[in-house]
Amino acid sequence: MLRCDHCLLEVPNRKAIFDRIKEEEKVFCCDGCRGIAILISEEGLEEFYRRRNNSWLPGPPEDKSIEPAAFANTIRQVGDDVETEIILDGIRCASCIWLTEKILLKTEGVTYARVNYATHTAKVQWKPGHTNIGGILTRIKSVGYTPKPFSAKAHEEGLRRQQRDILIRLGTSAFFSIQIMMYSVALYAGYFQGISGSIKVVLQIVSLALATPVLFYAGMPFIKGTIRGLRNLSFNMDVLVITGAGSAYVYSIYQIFSGGEVYFDTSAMIITLILLGRYIEAGAKGRASEVITRLLALNPKEARLVTNSGAGVKSLESVSISSIKTGDRIEVTPGEMIPLDGIVTEGMSEVDESMLTGESRPVSKKAGSEVFCGTQNLYGTLVYKVQRTGKETVLAQIIKTVEDAQARRAAIQTIADRVVGFFVPAVLLLSAITGLAWLFYGSTPTGAIMNSISVLVIACPCALGLATPLAVLMGTTKGASSGILIKGGDIIERARNIDTVVLDKTGTITESKPELVSYKEIGISDIEALRLAASLERLSEHSISKAIVNAAEEMKPYNVDEFIACPGKGVKGIIEGKEALAGSRNFIESEGIFNDLDTVLTSEMLSWVKLQEHSGNSVVYASFDKRLSGIFIISDTIRKEAGEAVEMLKKMVYDVIMITGDCIDTAVTVAGKVNLDEDKVMAQRSPVEKAEVIKSMQKEGRKVLMIGDGINDAPALIQADVGIAMGRATDIALESSDMVIMRSDLRLIPDAIILSKKTYKIIRQNLFWAFVYNIVALPLSVTGILHPIVAAVSMTLSSLSVVGNSMRLKSN
Amino acid sequence: MWTIFLLIFIALTIGVGAWLFFLWAVKSGQYDDLEGPKYRMLDDEEKQED
Repeated sequence: MLRCDHCLLEVPNRKAIFDRIKEEEKVFCCDGCRGIAILISEEGLEEFYRRRNNSWLPGPPEDKSIEPAAFANTIRQVGDDVETEIILDGIRCASCIWLTEKILLKTEGVTYARVNYATHTAKVQWKPGHTNIGGILTRIKSVGYTPKPFSAKAHEEGLRRQQRDILIRLGTSAFFSIQIMMYSVALYAGYFQGISGSIKVVLQIVSLALATPVLFYAGMPFIKGTIRGLRNLSFNMDVLVITGAGSAYVYSIYQIFSGGEVYFDTSAMIITLILLGRYIEAGAKGRASEVITRLLALNPKEARLVTNSGAGVKSLESVSISSIKTGDRIEVTPGEMIPLDGIVTEGMSEVDESMLTGESRPVSKKAGSEVFCGTQNLYGTLVYKVQRTGKETVLAQIIKTVEDAQARRAAIQTIADRVVGFFVPAVLLLSAITGLAWLFYGSTPTGAIMNSISVLVIACPCALGLATPLAVLMGTTKGASSGILIKGGDIIERARNIDTVVLDKTGTITESKPELVSYKEIGISDIEALRLAASLERLSEHSISKAIVNAAEEMKPYNVDEFIACPGKGVKGIIEGKEALAGSRNFIESEGIFNDLDTVLTSEMLSWVKLQEHSGNSVVYASFDKRLSGIFIISDTIRKEAGEAVEMLKKMVYDVIMITGDCIDTAVTVAGKVNLDEDKVMAQRSPVEKAEVIKSMQKEGRKVLMIGDGINDAPALIQADVGIAMGRATDIALESSDMVIMRSDLRLIPDAIILSKKTYKIIRQNLFWAFVYNIVALPLSVTGILHPIVAAVSMTLSSLSVVGNSMRLKSN
Repeated sequence: MWTIFLLIFIALTIGVGAWLFFLWAVKSGQYDDLEGPKYRMLDDEEKQED
């Protein structure tokens, strides 16, 4: 087996392409890779090969050409140059960005090229005379990325503009609030020590000038929200913010003229702190809509329709997916995505279904096998009959599950708004009652208005807007530094009272990397069985083969002639003039070497094999010169720390359960090794059934945490109260989960639960500190005892308590 | 009184200056990509090797 020098994929000797580039002998798997390598070398960018990491994969196979016309309306004039933004499909790592930028900058006429790592968007400027958009697109495609017009992501552009808008408003209000605070400190000092009247008025007028843009520019989203809310007669948080900040502002203007104290700082700080909370929230929520986009990207847009034009002559026609009906026949070549669900009629191949099942081993397909939309055909051309189209495909159903689950979550979040809906009118009412009561008991109208407004000012919990987001920010930062990514505050809230933990087997408890665990040589001549088998398996692409090859790494392989691979069964070839085979039991038997292996093996050997099969390990037989030469046991390794992690979880929660698509024997064995009882194992569950199991647990009132990887776990991860994806899991699983464990270390899961509990405790304390000043100050202000300026100071104190309390999360 | 006006003027100039700088930073895209620069920092310009 050779390795392609460009894409690092393994390539069988007989398929490899050899070439000399700059006096160096190179190996390639296909002409595409060779072309790119030559291009990279011609441009003097060999540095790319030194800096890329091994997880780098080749871009998608070159498909239909992208029309430069689609980019025409994204181009704008910048001085003498023109500029456009292009979305790059296939960007996976920092070195992709490096390569794209360098390739673009080396294009004649290009003056500027920058790729944004977060949005995968390239900004390119060029001189119109020297090159054109078509030339730039060709350059990008030549390194394997698919350029797309930027306008296609209008929705995300909107989100980005919104985030920038919040940032500008937050910055503006923060800068002006800082200025106001300077004058306020002077005025506070004046209040306690005495201040000359004219200086006081000057300071107050400067404060007014600074507070005005804060309220009317930075506060504009809240003003709009208030108007919208009042029109619909619903009281949202915006109403409270604007009533609080607005009344403090209006009241202060009145106070300037009547010679009293002003509260412009209160007005500005309310707006600033609430905006800060919104900005932190917006950043965390930004990625939510991406999961659907990513799933939809698995859906191919075109298919090659096979039509019979009589007398067994086939003709092919590229058509769009939407025009294909049930019963049509479609051809899929190696490397292509399968466009719709169906049943194979011709051809033989292996298909990578890991995006649906999480199973890393390719599944062999022949006439009669089912194939699924979104999976990737690997080695042979298949023709299949379409059975399900559109919304009925398995992929479409998974997408729907994800969408439904997200809609459900949004509903829960509105409860918080509903609570505010009662709180706001209550405060408004209290303020009105205070005013009327003072008036009734003989106060002057001015005094009554003053008291009612100071109730409003004091009741507005400005630290409230900060209490939750700040604690969440600290909690997530703390988590991220220890390898736990938490995707939002609501997740912390749910993760703290988990009572049931459901673990997926493959990829969670096990490493999903098959390994040779033991083998027996059955004494024949002087040839070592492992070395023989490894020589054969070296030429095969199957992942089980790799387990044997890895085990025999240090042995010198034999030369194999007439190598033949039978997908899903085994391999055979000629070694030193004698026939050698390796494969499943059926394969060895069907090749006519033994009719029945039971008669060949000793009873001791047989029971050993039975035992291994019972534990769910795969068994590979090898024969040489028509005699059985060895038996190999291949198993998926259990993570070293799995047992420890399960013990920790058992102490923390009520129930720990393992769920898997594998057969019961394998499942029970694996469970036993991590100290889980047999009755805590659920085997042979499909992706949808996994979600069903979790749903039924939730009906019993349990709070379920699910840990898994792969798209097949996505429905279960979403159904669970908290879904955790293990590191290096598929993108979709990462997007549909609530937390991500970045290192492949199961012990981080108990850590994540502990962190959630701690963060939630801090949130509760924060809410207490945010409210306690209000609750203490409110009766005092209703009775007119508390001077409003003392309240303003106490507001700042309450914010400081919240900030300080949140900081505690970071330190321990 | 004159001192107060001067100090207010200086404070406002510095404050508004900082604010304008911030506006420029946001509008010129300094906050757009908070992820990439940490990688870009590690990229040397064309390595001169022979």
